[in-house]
Amino acid sequence: MKKILLILLITLELFAAPSVGDKAVSFTLPNLYNLHHKTSMQSLKGKVVLLNLWASWCNGCQEEMPKFVALQREFSKEKFQIVLSSIDSDPSNAIDFLQDVDASKRLTALYDADKQLPKAYQCVGMPSSFLISKEGKIVKVYVGSLDDAKMQELKKSVLKLIGK
Amino acid sequence: MKSLLLLTLLLFVSACSEHLARVMPYEKEYFAEDKMSLSPIAERSEQEGHIFLIREASAGGESSFQGGCGCR
Repeated sequence: MKKILLILLITLELFAAPSVGDKAVSFTLPNLYNLHHKTSMQSLKGKVVLLNLWASWCNGCQEEMPKFVALQREFSKEKFQIVLSSIDSDPSNAIDFLQDVDASKRLTALYDADKQLPKAYQCVGMPSSFLISKEGKIVKVYVGSLDDAKMQELKKSVLKLIGK
Repeated sequence: MKSLLLLTLLLFVSACSEHLARVMPYEKEYFAEDKMSLSPIAERSEQEGHIFLIREASAGGESSFQGGCGCR
């Protein structure tokens, strides 16, 4: 009986969603603007990363996007990088939306056709954002659109992680 | 034998998991389309509501906080 319980516990732990303190899910995804160019989680090591899982059809994602553009403007990409991962079935929808909001392409936009990241993170809502430390560990998880208060909180966390 | 029975039962129960039938938030692309809403043309919804009100000779029952019983 004890053995069965132990196996069950291990199984549950294996299928648990990555949470605060866990290692961020590794990925290699194509760039939204240039599908031949790929970006991996490994290449972002050493930077504080905000990984945002979004879609152009999601109203909450649309609301918070201008705030992300403004936030990225405040930080050098060498230290803090906002990485968007679009799950649109048609990447042109995501590109059309971003051209209006982020014409200067400040945000790093990736395309996740197979929805591998929301599946791996077991997203319970859209949008979902994950603040990842320089060491590649999840520091904070934000489910839903970020309002002004949460953006301020996020900025403070980023400054702390950068070491300012 | 008992543990085998328990394991089989657990397997059967896990098959009823809501994850098998639940539409995950990232799978709702088609639900988000305008044509999926009850009143696809936003500009027309108010007019439709007004016509409904006249036709049914009763107000209310449309909002989500009411029961839809038509008694208000």
